[in-house]
Amino acid sequence: MRQYFKTALLAGVLAAGSMVMSATADTVKIGFNVPLTGFAAADGQSALHGAELAVDQVNAAGGVNGSMLELVVYDDQASPKEAAPLAVKMITQDEVVAGVSGSYSGATRAAATIFAESKVPYISAYAIHPDITRAGDYVFRTSFMGEVQGRAGAKLIGEMLGKKRVTMVTINNDFGKSLAAGFKEQASNFGIEIVSEYEYSIKDREFGPVISKIKADKPDAIYASGYFFTAGPMVSQIRAAGLDQPVVGQEGYDSQKFIEIAGAASEGVMITTSLDRDSNVPETKDFIKGFAKKAGYPADMVAASAHTAILVLADALKASGSGDAAALRDAVAKTDLSASTGRISFNALGEVQKDVQVQIVKDGNWHHHSVISDAVLLAPPSE
Amino acid sequence: MRNPGGLHFIELTMLFVDLCIQGLIQGAIYALIALGLTLVYGLLRILHVAHAALFTLGGYVGVVVTNGSGSFLLALLTAMLIVGVIGMASYRVIYKPLLTRTPLIALIASIGVFIASEELFRIIFGAYGLSYATPPLKGQVELLPGISLSHARILVVVLAVGLLSGVGWLAVHTRIGIAARATVVDPAMAASSGVNVETIRYASFFIGSAFAGAAGVMVSLLNNLVEPTMGAVPSYKALAIIVLGGLGSVRGALIASLALGVIESFGTIYVGHLLDRDSIAFAFLIMVLMIRPQGLLARE
Repeated sequence: MRQYFKTALLAGVLAAGSMVMSATADTVKIGFNVPLTGFAAADGQSALHGAELAVDQVNAAGGVNGSMLELVVYDDQASPKEAAPLAVKMITQDEVVAGVSGSYSGATRAAATIFAESKVPYISAYAIHPDITRAGDYVFRTSFMGEVQGRAGAKLIGEMLGKKRVTMVTINNDFGKSLAAGFKEQASNFGIEIVSEYEYSIKDREFGPVISKIKADKPDAIYASGYFFTAGPMVSQIRAAGLDQPVVGQEGYDSQKFIEIAGAASEGVMITTSLDRDSNVPETKDFIKGFAKKAGYPADMVAASAHTAILVLADALKASGSGDAAALRDAVAKTDLSASTGRISFNALGEVQKDVQVQIVKDGNWHHHSVISDAVLLAPPSE
Repeated sequence: MRNPGGLHFIELTMLFVDLCIQGLIQGAIYALIALGLTLVYGLLRILHVAHAALFTLGGYVGVVVTNGSGSFLLALLTAMLIVGVIGMASYRVIYKPLLTRTPLIALIASIGVFIASEELFRIIFGAYGLSYATPPLKGQVELLPGISLSHARILVVVLAVGLLSGVGWLAVHTRIGIAARATVVDPAMAASSGVNVETIRYASFFIGSAFAGAAGVMVSLLNNLVEPTMGAVPSYKALAIIVLGGLGSVRGALIASLALGVIESFGTIYVGHLLDRDSIAFAFLIMVLMIRPQGLLARE
């Protein structure tokens, strides 16, 4: 009996071992930390759909170097204390060849440090904190830094729209603060006078007092940072109070849900973002179509950014050929790829270099307004 | 006559009036939420954190019923009824079995239920939150030249005043109201005088929860958005309000609600770059408690 038990155990271990072996032989694992519960779950869900779509597309086209891509997904609740152990788990237990963050800045920073120390490539899809890429040589970012988008916002308002007296409404987290810094840095270059500035917290949905004061400030335009769940109520309340100045936002607004919340008030709102809904680029068109089919709702910025990040890795895996982390890292650094968010390349720090898309709400949908492709204005920091 | 901000005296006066109105509207919402909390504290000495989950539930019922039936009035009444009944159930299921334990255990249970409710809302209604397909009460009324309010904001005030004075009338003029007040002062004496304490508790949970549900519907209308985490801020701010008002004092809680609304309204404009809305509220709470540790209107 004892002998039998031992044999059975041995057989079981061997079987389990061979299953793991065959799994690792046929697939290339990419770690993906994303908030699927908690306050950021909506963005997390979109990012996951975007990443899965990219994996499906790569695998349908034959995978990379004869292997299929496999996404190893973990819920980080957008929290650093969740993300750090998950990063360790992805690297040591799952043995991923690379990681992608579909999460916010706090969680992404925590995971980035661990990936950088372990010398495993890591791409932040849409988290914008400056310190993420500074974690080390193995960390990259496929979305704009806040400062870069803030500078684009100043150009859009001061030069392209010709509005000079601007009120800023800033969300008081890393996203809003870095946007505000970039906007202010370039404001005077585009003849903008900042007549007033207000801050609010990510928990605020009620902007009555600030809007009353903006009414008294009489600006020509409002530069308001936020996410669709703060900007939707804000824009709806701004228009309900009878203010008709242009409202300019950023990629945080970039969701169909913004239009659903703000309703008719969203018409004419402009944002600086990464995804052009009216693009003629095949990669972008395919993504928009594929996403709507997969997710059941229209594509947004976080989905496009996660999709892009996976495609950047797939492209680098093909180019590097081997399973060597250093070779993969070098291949990511040399990326020159047309993806759903445009032509992607990285600077020395690992920051993306691409055009800023200006989108405007027309007839209840996001549409193309213009493109800002000023390489000097949009240059991310390189150290 | 100009102030440093560059506004004329008249403009500045109008701005202050506008800020007061905005603050009172927010205060009215706080009052609707805080009433239930203060009633429960008065009767059971329990801090009912899960009350904020009922507020969120009200918002969801409001949006779902309005979008389904097209009638906002029906949605408001349904939300108050459903949330009121679930409030009574929360007493029966969560608090009643814990009454013999220390209030700390009920508080922990309450926090647990609240946290679980957020994920439950997310699982049932989705992470993106819900909005009204065609938001009702969008029209504007011009109160004073330059100050116009949407019908939704006016309804907030009308509803709060109507519901709260209704409860005030009940408390003074009806047998159950008098019995309720007697139970708060001395439950044992009230029971021995023939008051059915259980009925009072169920009635208080029903009314307090229904009002929180109404507040949830009104907030969903003002923001055109209900989210799983919508109760997060009310969960702790309503506690601050009942402490500020003097624990268990209904009148104190109402005054504290309105005061906090107005303080936050001015605060977000004039010290918003230093403190966010919540920090302003808590700074005010700390200042008041330093002067009056028992709160604004403490019960003796």
